[in-house]
Amino acid sequence: MRDYILLFPIFFPMLCGFFMPLLQKKRFWETVLFALLAVETAVVFYIAFNVDGDMAVTVWQISGMLSISFFCDGLGRIFSCLISGIWLMAAIFSMDYMKKEEHVGRFFFFYLISLGVLLGISYSANFMTMYLFYEFMTLMTVPLVLHSETQEAITAGLKYMGYSIFGAGLGLIGFFFLCVYGSSTEFTPGGVLDPSIIAGHENVLRIIYFEMIIGFGCKAGMYPLHAWLPTAHPVAPAPASAVLSGLITKCGVLAIIRTTYYLFGVDFVRGTWAQTALLCLAVFTIFMGSMLAYKENLLKKRLAYSTISQVSYVLFGVFLMTPQALSGALLQVIGHAIAKNTLFLSSGAIINRTGKKYVSELTGIGKNMPVVMLCFTVASLSLVGIPPTAGFISKWYLAEGALDCSIGNIIPILGIFVLILSALLTAGYLFTIVVKAFFPGNGFNYEALSKKEPGAVMLFPLIVLSACILFFGMFPSGFVNFFTEIFSGIF
Amino acid sequence: MENNFILLFLVLFPMAGGVVSYIIGRFNKSARNYAADVVVLAEFAAVLLVFGQSSVFHLNSFCGLGINFESGGIRGVFTVAASFVWLMATFFSAEYFKNYRNRNRYYFFMLVTLGSTMGVFLSSDFFTALIFFEIMSFTSFVLVIHDESPKAQKAAMTYIAVAIIGGMATLAGMFFMYHSAGTLNFSELGKIISADNGKTPYYIYGVLIFTGFGAKAGAFPLHIWLPEAHPAAPAPASAILSCVLTKTGIFGVMALSCQVFMHDARWGMFILSIGTITMFLGAFLAVFSVDLKRTLACSSLSQIGFIMVAIGMSGLLGEENSLAAAGAILHVVNHSVIKLTLFLCAGVVYMNTHKLNLNDIKGWGRDKPLLKFVFLQGLLGIAGIPLWGGYISKTLIHESIVEYIAHGGTHGGLTIFNAVEWIFLISGGLTLAYMTKIFAALFVEKEKSPKKENHSLKNDCYMNKVSSAVLIICALLISVFGIAPHATLDKIAGVSYGFLGSVPPDHSVHYFSLVNLKGAFISVVIGAVVYFVFIKKFLMSKEAGNTVYKDVWPVWLNIENSIYRPVVLKILPTIGYAVAGTLSKALDFTLPSIIDAALTVASFLYSLFENLLLYGLIALVKVIRFMCDVYSYGVQLVLYFLFNYDDISYDGERDFREDAYFSRYSEDKHGEITGFRENLTISLIMFGIGVVCGLVYLII
Repeated sequence: MRDYILLFPIFFPMLCGFFMPLLQKKRFWETVLFALLAVETAVVFYIAFNVDGDMAVTVWQISGMLSISFFCDGLGRIFSCLISGIWLMAAIFSMDYMKKEEHVGRFFFFYLISLGVLLGISYSANFMTMYLFYEFMTLMTVPLVLHSETQEAITAGLKYMGYSIFGAGLGLIGFFFLCVYGSSTEFTPGGVLDPSIIAGHENVLRIIYFEMIIGFGCKAGMYPLHAWLPTAHPVAPAPASAVLSGLITKCGVLAIIRTTYYLFGVDFVRGTWAQTALLCLAVFTIFMGSMLAYKENLLKKRLAYSTISQVSYVLFGVFLMTPQALSGALLQVIGHAIAKNTLFLSSGAIINRTGKKYVSELTGIGKNMPVVMLCFTVASLSLVGIPPTAGFISKWYLAEGALDCSIGNIIPILGIFVLILSALLTAGYLFTIVVKAFFPGNGFNYEALSKKEPGAVMLFPLIVLSACILFFGMFPSGFVNFFTEIFSGIF
Repeated sequence: MENNFILLFLVLFPMAGGVVSYIIGRFNKSARNYAADVVVLAEFAAVLLVFGQSSVFHLNSFCGLGINFESGGIRGVFTVAASFVWLMATFFSAEYFKNYRNRNRYYFFMLVTLGSTMGVFLSSDFFTALIFFEIMSFTSFVLVIHDESPKAQKAAMTYIAVAIIGGMATLAGMFFMYHSAGTLNFSELGKIISADNGKTPYYIYGVLIFTGFGAKAGAFPLHIWLPEAHPAAPAPASAILSCVLTKTGIFGVMALSCQVFMHDARWGMFILSIGTITMFLGAFLAVFSVDLKRTLACSSLSQIGFIMVAIGMSGLLGEENSLAAAGAILHVVNHSVIKLTLFLCAGVVYMNTHKLNLNDIKGWGRDKPLLKFVFLQGLLGIAGIPLWGGYISKTLIHESIVEYIAHGGTHGGLTIFNAVEWIFLISGGLTLAYMTKIFAALFVEKEKSPKKENHSLKNDCYMNKVSSAVLIICALLISVFGIAPHATLDKIAGVSYGFLGSVPPDHSVHYFSLVNLKGAFISVVIGAVVYFVFIKKFLMSKEAGNTVYKDVWPVWLNIENSIYRPVVLKILPTIGYAVAGTLSKALDFTLPSIIDAALTVASFLYSLFENLLLYGLIALVKVIRFMCDVYSYGVQLVLYFLFNYDDISYDGERDFREDAYFSRYSEDKHGEITGFRENLTISLIMFGIGVVCGLVYLII
């Protein structure tokens, strides 16, 4: 009976979502929204920290093999805490931000439902459940992209939907094969493949694995299905683009981790052509994202390209299939989610207060809104990987994991080279903004300067997230120890 | 060993002090200045407290691997030197920045830089060093860009770019090093590497790690930021950059050369060659410079080269490297004190005139004996004149080269080392020449042009008492070091031998013996020749009785502007973008067209199938009916012949129509069916009957 609490975080926000359009005219709706999300976050953290053992609950047994069921393992704990915590911060930010937008009720309707769906993905116990919520995630977040209802937004939304459904479809193909070749499709550490059945069919299954990862890689922005990301993220309102970039890409990562480590199993893929090919794709995506971001002038689009690059750091770690690298990947999941949210929310604050969208307009912005740009700077440092921020730690583990990798010397060293190169490019596309913002030059007109710092409601999430970046960077050992526990089954 | 929290205090206290002084500065400017003074004074006191006291501090799992501090030995020398420089620079800052904007920012970042610098000097492994090294790079960036002039902005961007590239290279080196050796502790790495025979990968990792530290020290070919950033920064910041931040790089190089690759001749040769190039290049650039602070910056470059030569020699000399090791650390100390003096003098000049070009400030110091004295002390110190500090360390370095040659060194042949010795002496000579050039410009030449304002400030007006005291202390220290080396410098060297991998020498060096004075004498002669023959003739000219300093250095001969910037900012991004952009866009463009093509194919196939089905059905029906027709005619024919059945005759007279039910009939004008001939059903029945009949016949 205790385990049924697991359903609360999933369905509570969905239910609440329905009331948002009704409440939007009321004066107290912000308070209500905050209270709902606070309860939600509290429950998620309670489940993660205070409940011993892994909970499991089956909602609906459709047939012998198919069921809708949830469980809460280590990975689920990490992702659910990350998602709900950051969602709360982004929601606090959006209370102030969305005042200037229309259709606020509709926005929060989908915003809350998406939260429930994302938590559904992190708690999914089998492929069927995950796939269900995965498709739901696409459908529930498309309205967030469409929010402004401009031609650009509609085009972007359709592109997003098209790519996502195509990607999820590729993932679904694998499901049918897994039903045949696996003992079940429950997520089991070490994989579900049945050695007696797959004998002789290994290569077909590896092709299936490869195309499944390509499909799920779509959400994570991995080459070759990355193109929706720089189109869709910038057009959404800032709180939505923050969670799109920071968290929804991570659900793609979660699906890939589940597929790799919990369905196929590392031993099946490690050292094969599939691993090599995926590593190459991830490494190329890291480079490509950074390079395109370096050349981009629209701030939010630059950040979207940066997401492509940074999430592929995670994928690089996942595909290396060593404990160190997977630790690095999970640290990068956390670090990037927090940092990218900070960056998107900062850029949202800038747009909200000044209407400036292009990087070239941001000269001297640090004098107008110093606290916002300070948070932006901390997040930038983390993305580049400067100690003592979270980005540095993940890079350290990724590189050490790469050197442990048994796939030969060339790809790990190439990977490390690209990590370093991408860090330099990241410095190139983020620090130039910071430097121009804080050091506008001695021709800057200090007399015309006006304080445009947003209010406490907007600053609070930015400051909390920046503090988290520094804290996780300085004291990562708690996470690393926890990861080691998770990894006991899957390696 | 017990954790000594003073070490943590040394790092965190200035950072906290920076925050406090920032907050104070929001309310009261002068209180902020005093707060900063108190912070650096307390820091200096704390550093003296742990000087020579060997203790450790561990903070496990901080930033992943944990940080490890150590004190005592050479770290005491570095930290005392650093906090002394900071003390002097901070006291001097109050007057220098009187009319500046953003002073709060300056003080905050200066104090945070102090803390992180302490972190680097106290670190006992590369991981700790890197963490504080990176923090230091970013906070000192703010000091460089402080003026926010276009020149400062460009210089600061170069500085941060080199710092980031270097830092990333170091990080990459550490990845490999940690993976291969399992530790990043300086001395443990040394043990592991000396026990390992297959050293080649370690050299590569070492060079990668060296890149970051070398770049910070100003080693060729990543020296480009130094001659730009030092002049662009405000004078106290230039002093800090030149005296301390470059030394953090030197500290890293020492850790690599004297701990990790201890007594390794090949590594020593590598450091020596880079040091020699840097040493000569810096001096050569300084001779051509017509900017006061740029000359000093290039001079720093050259002096860093001297230090690196000493470090390289200590690697080459192996066990008997005490001369070279002492030379290295003593030159670090001397250079810090001397360059502090000189940069603060330049600060005084800039504070009053806001100019640094030699032609603009010519003769400004003629009537200022105090400044003249202080600057002269700096000149004599850095040029290596006996009885001033620089002579002692330069003599030691020179003697180490001579010693190597005398011992018939085993590496690379002697001619190279003779060349190194001569480059060393020539660089020493050039030092004297360029210092004489700026001294003469500032204090000897007369400004005869009537257009320019007459600098007739009273002696005590151009700087206040605090700044004067700071300058006098620095200047006297140079003499103290030079006159009583055994009581001062030898002691400093004494505590440093442990880290530098050498044992104290049996007897102290006779600094003022004839053989040692010879080297200084040769340098002085070279310097005089260069000054009077080259600088006077080619770099100065008389126009209307007025001396003009010419900038003859060709503009295009600038490794930064003609190679690094175009390559890093234009060529590489263009290539990278071409690759990434094409591949990224290619897919985004082709995917829709692929989908389009697929749709076309699918709809074609679909319609094809649909048509095929329809036409196929019709054709099938026609075939069946034709067969039925043939059959029924056949039957009728048989009937006709057998029974005279006559039904075919009126076939041509009537107009038969066909409908959708495949029946054939005729109708009249009103559409009523008048004659029914046949339809498919009847034909099929007939066909069926016929088949049954046939079968029955066959069976029977």
